[in-house]
Amino acid sequence: MGLMESLKGFFVKPEQQKNVLQENCFHADYLVIDLELTGLNAKKDEIVSIAWVPITEQRIQLGASVHCINNQVTNLKQSPIYHGIDQDGIADGKPLEAILRQLNTQIEDKVLVFHNAELDWSFLTIAFNKAGLLHKPAAILDSMEIEHKRLARQGQLIGHDSLTLGNCRARYNLPNYENHNALTDAMATAELFLAQINQISRGKELLIKHLK
Amino acid sequence: MSAEIKEVYSFAAKQAPFSDLDASACEYFANHLQAVYLTTENQHSWLSDERPALYLIRSGLYDIIDPSGEVVARLGEGDYFGYPSLLTGEAITNRLQVQNEGIVYLLEQSAWDYLREHYKPFAQYFVRAHANRLLSTNYQSREQDWSQKKIRDVMKTGAVCTAPTTSITDAAQIMQKFGVSSLMVTEQDKLIGVVTDRDLRNRVLAQKMDPSKPVSDIMTRKPKHIFEHNRVFSALHLMLKQNIHHLPVLDETHRPLGMLTSTDLLRQQKSDPVQLIGRIYKATSHAQLKRYALEIPELLHGFSKRIDDTSLIGKLLSGITDALTTRLITLYEQEFGEAPTPYSWICFGSQAREEQTLHSDQDNGLLLPNDLNTKDKAYFKALGEYVCQGLIDCGIRKCPGNIMASQSQCRMSLHAWLSQFESWIVSPSPKAILNCKIFFDIRYVCGDETLFDDFANELKKIVKNQIFYASMATDINTNSVPIGLFNQFKLEQDKQKHRYLDLKKRGVAIINDIVRLYALHNGITSPNTLSRLDALERLEHINKKDIYDLKDCWRYLTQLRLNVQLSQKGLPANCIDPEDLTSLEKHQLKEAFYLIKQAQQAVAFKFARGSL
Repeated sequence: MGLMESLKGFFVKPEQQKNVLQENCFHADYLVIDLELTGLNAKKDEIVSIAWVPITEQRIQLGASVHCINNQVTNLKQSPIYHGIDQDGIADGKPLEAILRQLNTQIEDKVLVFHNAELDWSFLTIAFNKAGLLHKPAAILDSMEIEHKRLARQGQLIGHDSLTLGNCRARYNLPNYENHNALTDAMATAELFLAQINQISRGKELLIKHLK
Repeated sequence: MSAEIKEVYSFAAKQAPFSDLDASACEYFANHLQAVYLTTENQHSWLSDERPALYLIRSGLYDIIDPSGEVVARLGEGDYFGYPSLLTGEAITNRLQVQNEGIVYLLEQSAWDYLREHYKPFAQYFVRAHANRLLSTNYQSREQDWSQKKIRDVMKTGAVCTAPTTSITDAAQIMQKFGVSSLMVTEQDKLIGVVTDRDLRNRVLAQKMDPSKPVSDIMTRKPKHIFEHNRVFSALHLMLKQNIHHLPVLDETHRPLGMLTSTDLLRQQKSDPVQLIGRIYKATSHAQLKRYALEIPELLHGFSKRIDDTSLIGKLLSGITDALTTRLITLYEQEFGEAPTPYSWICFGSQAREEQTLHSDQDNGLLLPNDLNTKDKAYFKALGEYVCQGLIDCGIRKCPGNIMASQSQCRMSLHAWLSQFESWIVSPSPKAILNCKIFFDIRYVCGDETLFDDFANELKKIVKNQIFYASMATDINTNSVPIGLFNQFKLEQDKQKHRYLDLKKRGVAIINDIVRLYALHNGITSPNTLSRLDALERLEHINKKDIYDLKDCWRYLTQLRLNVQLSQKGLPANCIDPEDLTSLEKHQLKEAFYLIKQAQQAVAFKFARGSL
């Protein structure tokens, strides 16, 4: 990316972001992202793997999905219990910076979707900053937050595990996925997100800002 | 370079045609898919001419609707759609209607073309599926198997008739001229008798009778007959039971249409079960009956593989029980003398409905004239005990509820039976309703048929009671189909922690209950569920589609139930583990339960005024 272009991108963005929020959620371009981590502390713990799946015109583009493992993880700790990636798996990966560069080309103009955005996005922000990459997505949405609001609006009791990805999906009668890795979870989040916007809108116009 | 999504891959790899293809085909498929979420709001955007695609259902339930608005197919997990237009290039005329929303995988034309070119079995699979889809739309007109056929389809038409005043010689000449072995004797178009070759031999030649006498002197009066719309199986059964070889076929106004002969039927199919019934009717001893009865399970196993229509299995087993009963009564009468008065041997429950299974137990009784003396009562008590014990010896279990002619409460006079029914009808307690469900499925087996007819007519009168109908409707709705929210199966669990679905209790029995209620309400006396539905179908105020739906459900569940019984593995009788079903079967089963639920609600609305 040339200097001029990135500068242009930098200045144009705030304007665009505003526009995206006014857009109908069915026509926006999304990138659904999931990370596997060594722990929950963004300052100390590391990113093990990143996967992303684009959604355009309500179609989850499985063929354009990407799944990368970070080969620079220094301490996996107990985390392989959750994601199944061990030292051998890591050896097959690539440097985090290369992964972030690849991701960064996809992020531009897209609305990012996470399940629990606060956690994953804080890891990504730190990593992007370390790598010196500009990162300014059009907007960030959180399927967990969307679900939380929806349940609260319906006056439902929200238990400590009502908002896990699996339990949210079960509420929409989506299939139960057994494999857990960043890619499956990204796809599972994408499906959940489509189900959510369809059920919330029920045929009426739904703007992205209403999902924030 | 896209990553392979394990969940998608492993799902697709389980589906035909990928299950039989090289793994590379499935990898290509998984890597070129798009996943979409289908809802009623966006259903019009899919299955479009602009972007034809192959669709594979991951979750949810969808109907394909043809231009006339008919549902062509209901599709669920693992089913494909969209391929006909990819194959033919023709415009899409069907549309999609979402029943339950869910995830559908979509493969665009370019990727479809790639798979079609590189994997021949992939292309063949969809060509065949397309052909089957075309065939299945003609499903309604599909040829039925022989036993299900109506008599009018197998009989030779053209009744050879003559007047009762015709001389025996003239009658014989008419038979010669038409090349028939029997003649129908009619008066004002009504059948009054039958003359056969055998009559000419036994009643004329052997008796040196004057052949100028009228045929009315030698004919069999009030002959057994059958109607053109009856099933072939009923005719077979009647001929064997009565040991007759000629059966006049009448239309609904009792006008003779033709003669059905045993040769006509043998031409249809050589049938071992029917031969067994024949042998039972000729058995000369208790021991012989017992020996024949031993053959039943194996016979059933072989027979069930050969036929499409499983309602026949229940008919067959009930037919065998009828035959055993009739023969045991004859053996008793031979040993202890004929009955002192007319009586009817009757049966209830599954035997009456003709849906007996290998697990069914006895449900029978004796209908006796009023005011019997002590000696006559003793005769029938002994008869009841003899026959019920005989049936136990033949493998038909004792009824745990003691509904057997050997028990005094099931061996009653016409008056006593009627007041028993009346007490249930006027005070429909839960126990009374339970009894009604068994005893209102009632059928005459043998003895004196007029006594039974009198009883049935009286019963028809006392049953007309709105509170009783409402109680039956309420009871029907206390039993729920095993489908939970979001169309999931609700499973039950036994002590060994097996999880299962009870097809009888939660399916067939509910349909039987619903149909019984409609039948009682409309004065239909037949105890068989399908016959009741046939009779209801002829009534004007009943919705035909509901009747067809109930029939289809009943047949499907009965079929599944029989398959389970024949390959039982550790679960309670009549139960299945849905995990053993294919995705299509699961989905048909859900469909059946769904229709039953609708019928339950309709019953509540109609009879209980929705007061549930």
